[in-house]
Amino acid sequence: MNKRQARLFAIASTGLATVAFLGLTLHSHTKFDELTNAQNNTPQVQSGRDVWHKYNCVNCHTLFGEGAYYAPDLTKITQLRGEQYLKAYMRDPSAFYDEQRHRRLMPKQNLSEREITDLIAFLDWVSKVDNQGWPPRPILVTGASIPGTDFGPAQGTSSGTASTLPPGARPVTGTENPIALGAAAFRSVAPACNACHSTAPGVNMAGPSLAGVAARAEELIGSPEYKGQAKDVKSYLIESIRTPSAYVVPGTMYSADGTSFMPNTYEHDLSAEQIDQLAEYLSTLK
Amino acid sequence: MRYRSQAVAYWYFAVAMVLFGLQLVFGLLSAAKYLGPDPLLNILPFDVTKVIHTNLLIVWVLTGFMGATYWMVPDESRTELYSTKLAYIQLGLWVVMGVTAVIGYLFRYGTGNKLLEQPLPHKIVIVIVMLMFLYNVIMTIRRSGRFTTTEGVLLLGVAGAAVLYLPALLHYENYTVSIIYRWWTIHLWVEGVWEMIQGGFLAYLLIRLSGADREVLEKWLYVIVGLVFIAGILGTAHHYYWVGVPQYWLPIGGFFSALEPVALVGMAMYAYSAIRRSGLAHPNTLALHWTIGSALFTLFGAGLLGLAHTWPSVNKWTHGTLVTAMHGHAAFYGAYAMIVLAMITFALPSMTHDRREQGSAVGYWSFWLQLAGMFGMTLSFATAGIGQVYLERILGLGYLDTQLKIQVHFLMLIATATLFSIGVGLFIWDFFRTRPRFEIVAEGAPPAAPARVAVT
Ligand code: HEC
Ligand code: HEC
Ligand code: HEM
Ligand SMILES: [Fe+2]
Repeated sequence: MNKRQARLFAIASTGLATVAFLGLTLHSHTKFDELTNAQNNTPQVQSGRDVWHKYNCVNCHTLFGEGAYYAPDLTKITQLRGEQYLKAYMRDPSAFYDEQRHRRLMPKQNLSEREITDLIAFLDWVSKVDNQGWPPRPILVTGASIPGTDFGPAQGTSSGTASTLPPGARPVTGTENPIALGAAAFRSVAPACNACHSTAPGVNMAGPSLAGVAARAEELIGSPEYKGQAKDVKSYLIESIRTPSAYVVPGTMYSADGTSFMPNTYEHDLSAEQIDQLAEYLSTLK
Repeated sequence: MRYRSQAVAYWYFAVAMVLFGLQLVFGLLSAAKYLGPDPLLNILPFDVTKVIHTNLLIVWVLTGFMGATYWMVPDESRTELYSTKLAYIQLGLWVVMGVTAVIGYLFRYGTGNKLLEQPLPHKIVIVIVMLMFLYNVIMTIRRSGRFTTTEGVLLLGVAGAAVLYLPALLHYENYTVSIIYRWWTIHLWVEGVWEMIQGGFLAYLLIRLSGADREVLEKWLYVIVGLVFIAGILGTAHHYYWVGVPQYWLPIGGFFSALEPVALVGMAMYAYSAIRRSGLAHPNTLALHWTIGSALFTLFGAGLLGLAHTWPSVNKWTHGTLVTAMHGHAAFYGAYAMIVLAMITFALPSMTHDRREQGSAVGYWSFWLQLAGMFGMTLSFATAGIGQVYLERILGLGYLDTQLKIQVHFLMLIATATLFSIGVGLFIWDFFRTRPRFEIVAEGAPPAAPARVAVT
């Protein structure tokens, strides 16, 4: 090969690759609307996107796995956390997490209520983009799909007091937002709810995944299969905790002869307030 | 220095050195935040230190590219620069742009779009600076009438970098579409036109440092450019996998980006064999270390570590973890930081007083400390990232709990980053240690090039 031929090779291969790339890019443009549900990319979603940019969220978090690696991926966050949870969290992250415990905390972002609502609309739009099913498994902020793996060695043996809380949980002073208190109780009461329940979709353990439990409850209450007393989502959740067998989720691994495998001890062991907070937290899982 | 106007390169290099030092300050701050807790949480949070860290990187490397081009073009075209005044105005504008951008970031004034955070006015200044730069270089070459292949590849690389920045100025309604065009800038820079720039400098250095024949080196330079673009252009799709694009980009991105290392293997062989076959023709062995080092470290950081996670079925698990940071650091450092440091090391003895061509002991310490430090940082990110993939992505442990379990790797990161920073500190000190000297030395006269030193 001489120099002229080498130059020809460089020009031809660059040209070919460019043509192929531009052609495919044009073709992709005919598919984006469908893949990203462009009809739902409303002005509210767009202004939520502007909020995302304005507060530089991408330089701590990833979205679609792109961004920085200091904070959790948020691609599917609206499917893991309900709107009420996210609103309360965005107003004050330190009510939900403790920097001393896991050495990291999201600084308060000082968003207006309007910005928070728009942001959640944007994140919800993101979560519905058809992105080849990524992430292959839910990326949780804290906790674990497999119970116990989030405990440090010192915490593995007992549970309940502040010093033995899982690393992600905030020590509870009792003055926090009830949703945050419920989230902490979920991991700290005995026996811990998260020993049997994951909040990741599709992760069914000894108990069913509680992802989307509020939405499921809403549907269930109106349907003929439901035999319990509850009239709304919150009372359904309270009932599920107090008297698990009032209604049992179908599945032979969950109950036998109409008796739920979930402990029926919480009614006595927990205070009414704690149960209320647990229900408050679970009702954000839409 | 053979042409008076090459003196402008000194000032570009000096700015690059200062910004490089500053980049590391913000890098170390960011790493400390990984370890946490963060006493500066509400004054200088991670997102701010990280933006400044990455933006300073891009700005100093581009400053180095411009300085090195102003050094190289007079040599290649055997003429003075078209306008030194223009070159200084350009540098002034560039520094003002960079400094105000960084100050703005401290107050979160930026677009919040990864790596393209520069506010619109700054982006426009960047385009203007690039145009001034291109104009100056093109006019220099036109006036001289001598246009080498090495220069041509470099020039096309620089022009391509300017053109590919343009999509970053547009506004996109759809977040997915905006991500795709963001990669036209970032990916096609680092895995396309910047590799042309690196190739151009590499060819220049090899021609100067070794006794290799220009015709042969330039022929292979073309081949490398061809290989870069066959793979690199369609390889852009390795950033498209999970952002909402049609399915066909997965196999296309996987296949073509997996071919990208071929060009990098080519580049390393090219550098190695030029020296091996033709021996050294220049006493500056420190510059030789940086030159060969750059080609080899690129092969490791970009080629090997890029390949490690470029296939869709692997990337599915590693995407958005510290595995990406592992690759990003090693690749950027090997390919672009090291090639700029090579050009500076090559040019420095003829731009400053009291300096041996061979390079100083401090210079060698700096080289090895940086290499060891960056290698250690790469390993720290790798071990942290692999741990993260298994715990968080595969076993489903929460993000925060995972980060707690990989703390020890962040300690290792800080230790090796400190080593690296000492190496860089020595380089900067070595640079400013002696006063600049802008005398013209004719070709062949000492101290620029004593008789051939044969090393085979
Ligand atoms: C300085 C880094 C930083 C910035 C900037 C940042 N975050 Fe966070 N974010 C975190 C960290 C760390 C966490 C993990 C939870 C915690 O420690 O508060 C988090 C958690 C979250 C969560 C998950 C909370 C949960 O319990 O599910 C959401 C949602 C979130 N951030 C949204 C945002 C949005 C929206 C922005 C931009 C307005 C933003 N973050 C900016 C660091 C950051
Ligand atoms: C020993 C395992 C276990 C523990 C511990 C446990 N659960 Fe359950 N839970 C189950 C099982 C099994 C079911 C399904 C049968 C049923 O409906 O009762 C269930 C069902 C539920 C449901 C109804 C879900 C639905 O989809 O309608 C809720 C709500 C619930 N649990 C909340 C809790 C809370 C809150 C705690 C902690 C206070 C807790 N669980 C602790 C095993 C457990
Ligand atoms: C000199 C060359 C290169 C440089 C400077 C470089 C730099 C980078 C940087 C900085 C990132 C992170 C970008 C971000 O997250 O915004 C990145 C991502 C990536 N690079 Fe490279 N790279 C180079 C070459 C390569 C090569 C040759 C390959 C493949 C063989 C490759 C594969 C990847 C992949 C797959 C990612 C995406 C990781 C992810 O987010 O999942 N890179 N690169
Ligand atoms: Fe890339």
